[in-house]
Amino acid sequence: MSALLEVSGVGKDYAKVETRRGRVRLVWDLLRGRAAHEVFRALDGVDFELQRGASLGVIGENGAGKSTLLKIVAGVIEPTRGSVRVNGRVGALLELGSGFHPDYSGLSNIELSAALLGIPQKEIDAKRDEIIAFADIGEHIRQPIKTYSSGMVIRLGFAIATALRPEVLITDEVLAVGDESFQKKCIAWIEEYLKTGGTLLLCSHSMYHIQKLCRVALWLRDGRPELYGPSADVSQAYLAFHEEKEARAKQPLAAEWARTAGMYSIQSIELTPGGRVAQGTDFTISGEVYSPDGRSPAVLVGIVRADGTSVYGVATDMDGITLDKVRGDRYLFSLTFLELALLPGKYVVRVHALDPEAVRLFDHVEREFVVTGETREFGFVQLQHRWG
Amino acid sequence: MSDSTSLTTGTASLVAGGAPGRRNRSLLRNFFVREIRTRYLGSMTGLAWAFIHPLALLAVYHFVFTTVFRAGSFKGHSFLLYVAVALWPWLAAQEALSRATVSLASYAGLIRKVAFPHELVVHASVAATLALQLAGYLAVLLVLAAFGEPVHFEGLLLAIPLWGVMAIAVLGLSLCLAALQVFIRDVEQVLVPVLMILMYVTPILYPLSLVPEHLQKWVAINPFTWLVARLRDALLDGRLALEWGDAVAVVVALAIFAGGQWVFRRLSPQFEDFV
Repeated sequence: MSALLEVSGVGKDYAKVETRRGRVRLVWDLLRGRAAHEVFRALDGVDFELQRGASLGVIGENGAGKSTLLKIVAGVIEPTRGSVRVNGRVGALLELGSGFHPDYSGLSNIELSAALLGIPQKEIDAKRDEIIAFADIGEHIRQPIKTYSSGMVIRLGFAIATALRPEVLITDEVLAVGDESFQKKCIAWIEEYLKTGGTLLLCSHSMYHIQKLCRVALWLRDGRPELYGPSADVSQAYLAFHEEKEARAKQPLAAEWARTAGMYSIQSIELTPGGRVAQGTDFTISGEVYSPDGRSPAVLVGIVRADGTSVYGVATDMDGITLDKVRGDRYLFSLTFLELALLPGKYVVRVHALDPEAVRLFDHVEREFVVTGETREFGFVQLQHRWG
Repeated sequence: MSDSTSLTTGTASLVAGGAPGRRNRSLLRNFFVREIRTRYLGSMTGLAWAFIHPLALLAVYHFVFTTVFRAGSFKGHSFLLYVAVALWPWLAAQEALSRATVSLASYAGLIRKVAFPHELVVHASVAATLALQLAGYLAVLLVLAAFGEPVHFEGLLLAIPLWGVMAIAVLGLSLCLAALQVFIRDVEQVLVPVLMILMYVTPILYPLSLVPEHLQKWVAINPFTWLVARLRDALLDGRLALEWGDAVAVVVALAIFAGGQWVFRRLSPQFEDFV
């Protein structure tokens, strides 16, 4: 079986023109069939294949070429180098609502979107109710799009995409918008779509979405592929890269900034035994806090799920703890969870620095960690229990 | 560009059921309806303007030429009918060109985010303008006939195909201008005075026979001179016979179209970055 999508050696150069003369020259070059004079290399040497039912996440910093890649796959622009082969119907959600006409009602825009995707009128007539139900924006469907809130535009855009059920779905940061319940609805739809043979190409800054929805990920850095592989590995590597980068940029700064601004701040944080901890073993979070006024600061430690759900949080003042000074203006904290009750999965620990009165929250640092183990229990905490 | 063949396969398969023709037709229809609605039906004045503007111009020319300059009748026809037959297609072409030149800008969002043949935007713009202007043309002929002007309505058998030939050429020019406008914003600015000048060197307000003989051949090179003459043959004199010049004109119109389309297709891959 040939791949649904084959991208080989794809690269894209954008013409660099600032002046009016440059534009005239570019037109002249294009008419003669020549390449532009001065170019900016937005993308280079990208290869991947997507089989039916596969899902690829594209990650990278702003300007890394993610959107350019998606546009090439969607056929919006031609690659300067390489080739893209598509053997199916591509539905691109590059930017929801971009195909909408602001003066037209939601209903008319459904028809325009269908025409753009090449869906016959009959098929659209059959799907209209489904779209309206999914979008769930009530009477607004008859109002011009320009009266919509951005969330409503997204709802309608996603509803159209889902009803038309493309063979390859390309989305660019679509899940980042919309309210939480709609996001959940979208994610549920995509999961179902993938289960039933749909193919996804997703671009996101949310590693949570990438890991949840994509099996494979591609990390683009300055237009070139940096890493390609299982999404967990790639997103871990990407996060690690960012942490290092932030640490490099922040370390001297944070201390400096904290001192001059007179802020209580977290200076370091350490997880013991590490970023991976076996279920049921002791887990320690420790580190140093800076105090600007020689008074012992309070510390709040919280654990949340990777999706942001709070699990547990406790502060030093709740337990009547006062931190000890280690040296200069640094205070040491250390919190151990005995026989960690968390079920296997990904979590984040957040540490906040507070003033000694534990009223004002100053700094906040977080670390991801994974609880390992094998269990068939549900949820994320093992409650002490007894069957009667 | 080395692998453009496989790319084409890719783009073609964006289309459901592998029928790009059907998709493009429905898209064109959608754009066309959208053009008509937003331009003319969005406001009552919009639709009225499409008719009032040429009528007002006709009235002014009538006043200036027959009352002020006291120009007599042209070739035995009243000035009003003589000018109306030619002025309307000119204004139609002029409006089609100037609207089409800037048409891509209003589809910028779509061009940046969705894969579709950009030409359809220009096609829809030109078609919408010309369709409405042709309706206006027929309405004016009816009005003039009602006021006793001797209009040869059987001449429409030739006049409507003549509009078709004009449409092909106007579409070609529009494609070229619209594509250039994306990169060079001055096109729109330059077009207005150029069209104004062209109108006066085309025998619309006067017959070709009034032009000094040594200049006549220069005026006759203008394809619009041919169009105007043939429209008058058909509608004023009821002469429907075809001429060799007609075949030449069709070839010229097709050549203009092909040239415009070539320019457009060369430039359109870069629209996304500039529109």
